[in-house]
Amino acid sequence: MEVKLLTEHYDDKSFQGIEGYKAKGGYEVLKKAFKMKPQEIIDEVKASGLRGRGGAGFPTGMKWGFLPKNDETRYLLCNADEGEPGTFKDRKMMERAPHQLIEGMIISSFAINSPKSYIYIRGEYNESTAILRKAIDEAYAAGMLGKNIMGSGFDHDLDLYVGAGAYICGEETGMISSLEGKKGQPKLKPPFPAVQGYLSKPTIVNNVETLAAVKYIIRDGAEAYKKHGTEKSCGTKLFSVSGNVQKPCTVEVPLGYSLMDLIELCGGLKPGRKLKAVIPGGSSAPVLTAEECVDAKMDYEDLAAKGSMLGSGAVIIIDDSNCMVDLLNVIMHFYHHESCGQCTPCREGTGWLEKMVKRIVTGEGRLDDIDLVLKVANQMKGRTICALSDAAALPAISFVEKFKKEFEYFVREGKSMVTSKGAPAHA
Amino acid sequence: MAIVVKRINANRQWYLWGILSGMGFTFGKMFKNLFNKKKMPTLNYPEEKYEYGPRFKGSHILTVKKDGSLRCTACMLCATNCPADCITIVASEHEDPEVEKYPINYEIDVLRCVYCGFCEEACPVDAIRMGPEWQTAGANGSNFSYDIKELARRPALKGGIESRLDDKERHSQGI
Amino acid sequence: MLKCTINGKEVEVKEGTTIIEAYKEMQEDIAHYCWHPGLSIAGVCRLCVVEIEGNPRLQIACNTEVRDGMVISNVSDKVEEAVRWGLDFHLINHPLDCPICDQAGECGLQEQYMKYGQYDSSMAENKVKKRKVVDLGPKIVLDAERCILCSRCVRFTEEISKTNELGIFNRGDHSMIGTVKDKPLDNDYSVNTVDICPVGALTSKDFRFQQRVWYLENTATTCPGCSTGCSVSVYHNKEGAYRVKPREDKENNGYWMCDEGRNVYKFVNKEARLLSAKTLNSGKLSSVRLAQALEDFTSFNREGKKVGVLLTGQNTTEEYKAILEMFAGADFFHWKNNEEKFNDFDGLLKRGDKNPNTNGLIETISNLKDAKSFNASNYDLTVAVMPENFLVYEDYNEKLESLKASKNLLLFSAAKLPKMELKTENTWVFPLKTFVEKEGSYLNHAKTERRIQKATSIVTEAVALNEFAAAVSRGLKININHHESRKQNEFTNIPGQY
Repeated sequence: MEVKLLTEHYDDKSFQGIEGYKAKGGYEVLKKAFKMKPQEIIDEVKASGLRGRGGAGFPTGMKWGFLPKNDETRYLLCNADEGEPGTFKDRKMMERAPHQLIEGMIISSFAINSPKSYIYIRGEYNESTAILRKAIDEAYAAGMLGKNIMGSGFDHDLDLYVGAGAYICGEETGMISSLEGKKGQPKLKPPFPAVQGYLSKPTIVNNVETLAAVKYIIRDGAEAYKKHGTEKSCGTKLFSVSGNVQKPCTVEVPLGYSLMDLIELCGGLKPGRKLKAVIPGGSSAPVLTAEECVDAKMDYEDLAAKGSMLGSGAVIIIDDSNCMVDLLNVIMHFYHHESCGQCTPCREGTGWLEKMVKRIVTGEGRLDDIDLVLKVANQMKGRTICALSDAAALPAISFVEKFKKEFEYFVREGKSMVTSKGAPAHA
Repeated sequence: MAIVVKRINANRQWYLWGILSGMGFTFGKMFKNLFNKKKMPTLNYPEEKYEYGPRFKGSHILTVKKDGSLRCTACMLCATNCPADCITIVASEHEDPEVEKYPINYEIDVLRCVYCGFCEEACPVDAIRMGPEWQTAGANGSNFSYDIKELARRPALKGGIESRLDDKERHSQGI
Repeated sequence: MLKCTINGKEVEVKEGTTIIEAYKEMQEDIAHYCWHPGLSIAGVCRLCVVEIEGNPRLQIACNTEVRDGMVISNVSDKVEEAVRWGLDFHLINHPLDCPICDQAGECGLQEQYMKYGQYDSSMAENKVKKRKVVDLGPKIVLDAERCILCSRCVRFTEEISKTNELGIFNRGDHSMIGTVKDKPLDNDYSVNTVDICPVGALTSKDFRFQQRVWYLENTATTCPGCSTGCSVSVYHNKEGAYRVKPREDKENNGYWMCDEGRNVYKFVNKEARLLSAKTLNSGKLSSVRLAQALEDFTSFNREGKKVGVLLTGQNTTEEYKAILEMFAGADFFHWKNNEEKFNDFDGLLKRGDKNPNTNGLIETISNLKDAKSFNASNYDLTVAVMPENFLVYEDYNEKLESLKASKNLLLFSAAKLPKMELKTENTWVFPLKTFVEKEGSYLNHAKTERRIQKATSIVTEAVALNEFAAAVSRGLKININHHESRKQNEFTNIPGQY
């Protein structure tokens, strides 16, 4: 069953503006937060078990706890550079409920005592940018941002920064580089951003959904939030379901929800089609076969146990009308195109993988290539500054290992086992 | 040290027998060769010349590209590999960035050369070969220092030997 | 101090040491391209991976600090496989044009390939094409295909020269170093980028195609270009010197040297040099054998003659001592080229005093007079020691001209002399040794001793001033050993190249 926490007022058009938002109890939670001590908010978030919704799933409260305990200026950055193929949950949030995000950000900034925060938004999100910009202006006008917010004595500025469309700027240190005006390339860790981030100051980077969820944790309390989801994966999660389902959409369900039920929630598969595979966490997550999907639960632990990951919650449903080789070709093209070129294994490896897969797709592959793809991908895994290399390697490994037959068929016959690239070989 | 004096007996002091047997051998061979010229092992050099096998390592050849310019890239691997230290190369920057480096001077001191063929083996681009020619006569020392003109464009090469490896072809294959 | 185990050996290192520094300290081999001790950490080549006990992931040694009790290894199969693949990733798009690449012989890729590689590439696809032979500036040529994007050069212009000319453009495997709108890379330290380039991507125009590096020997010595006295290596073969590169010297010049200093090899080669001794023969200078010129000079009676000696700050302290002893009681003049700039300093290495041993001269000879008051006609015998790096002396020709007024002239010069019409009674000209041909010491701006070391003999007839003095005092018997075997001391022990 859907649990509408963050998405409760998505269908209400007036929720976009500050009046409509306030009518539905907007900025009330902020009032409540200002009555709390910053440390209490952090403890509440810690107790809620909220984990980063951007992909890595790192506990948010713990991340905030890494900030040095001194008076150094710190920054809160909201990662709205939603670049993962298949993900569109943040976009919808920014378009339908921009104030929800702003309120969550003010609460979070108050908790970590940050005087300035930024929303780093993806360059292609023109509509979201316009709506957010309007919302920020409204918030300033209503005194929700700026000096002495709601008489609390807390000053906060929020700025919107539009990226230029690079996938790598969705990586937190890449985003910080980009925000600093440099080339969007991830920085070497350590030092971690919480110690030395934006402008070499302590910086917290959180996803849109994470920051919005903070509002609901403060509103209802950690215990109430924890009631949703499983023991280790608490709360609700937005899933962007796309691919071969009848009704691709964003849905909010508690974590631990069954994958098959999620598909049903989105109208199920098209008539006469069989489920072939699911990418459960955006294109960088390893693919799950139909058999693995049957008992899959959408939470961090269960998917990790199945060798995949929850990622950003982009569920891509693949039915039997798709050729896996062709799909991998598209994914590899994406990562080759988006590699920042800093670390050698990723810079050269992503290109190499794409070239090999492309050769198979054009019917000129060699059987050795299939093993070479695995070898190259394995050597790219965990070898670079950021996770982009892994993001390219993991799907390559899972596609080839789990659908080796399709790859071998393509190499031998020079045509796809499934699609119209050559006549379908089987019924 | 004692000196052994060989005393020849009277029979042997008379040399006629020796002369006759020597002349017999000589004339025997002469007549044999006169009537069976094909079996004669001696060649009438320089009118007749010996044909060596195709792998004979003779005079060096610098190969050329399709456009007739030198194939040599002046990498100096031949000079490095040369056991006789007889190759001198002066490299320079070529105006065509695809060629980049080329020799403005390439000299082989053939009097020092031991014709081992190591230069040919060291060459990564088939720029130097050991050709079939083996007559390297000259009137003075300077005739034995072969330069580019001699090595690549001597008349015997009929306009130059084309290298098997062409850069443009390699590049188009993505190498 | 922290205790750790590296490749099975226990070592103690200072707190804050990174693993790669610990490896360097104990002189263990570790592959790396992007790390350089003089630059910040980039961590992009991913070759310095090590296995740390208790950590399933391989870590990069350059950005991991040693912690107490760490057990580190880079000789395990896992690390070697990672390095081999890391190298393959570097090589798949590398053009492999070693035959025409100047770096061949001192290339990081070749070194690691011989150690970890030695296989045929498994990549069957076309390589990425990039720009070749890009004119980056007046001193440097870029080949973007050879570049492995280690970013050392970019970090150098950012952190050391602080000129920020270079940057990495584009992304992914199309990344390329370059300058904005092809603006030239032209600063006083630009050729250092060629030194630190681990591959042949950046080559120096001056050295390009001049020699293959395996024909060159290098000798550790000191740059005579200015009073900083940077530690350098001179690269030479039997024909002469070909280039000068900086040598690691943390106290003095770090890892760098200026571009001007790289030209000091140019005045030592034969084409710029005075090749033989000369004496005045019926009004004309004519070449004679060194021994004969010496004999000629020795037979000249110096008793009771008034001697004036003209010196520059370009000789060794040992030479000054010898000349002071030989011409005791003479007037000594200090010829300065640009005195007003002597204290200039560009903040990094370059100093205004273009003589390596001004301090040595001042310390050795106490009653120095300024050469502005020098008048050759006041003396019975004029001794003039011309500077070896004469290009930094603007009044070189004037001074040479003024010597014509001498009654008797003893002239030392390393550089080729112009035709001179002399009206002196006697003239002896001796070819002087340059800094690559002699041993000795300089006293630099901070009055620390900088040693120079004999690298090679270029002009066999040349003498150093102390050799000359010794020969004259011994009475003709000159014994100049040109093929002295190089002494082994801590000085010739060159620390590893980075």
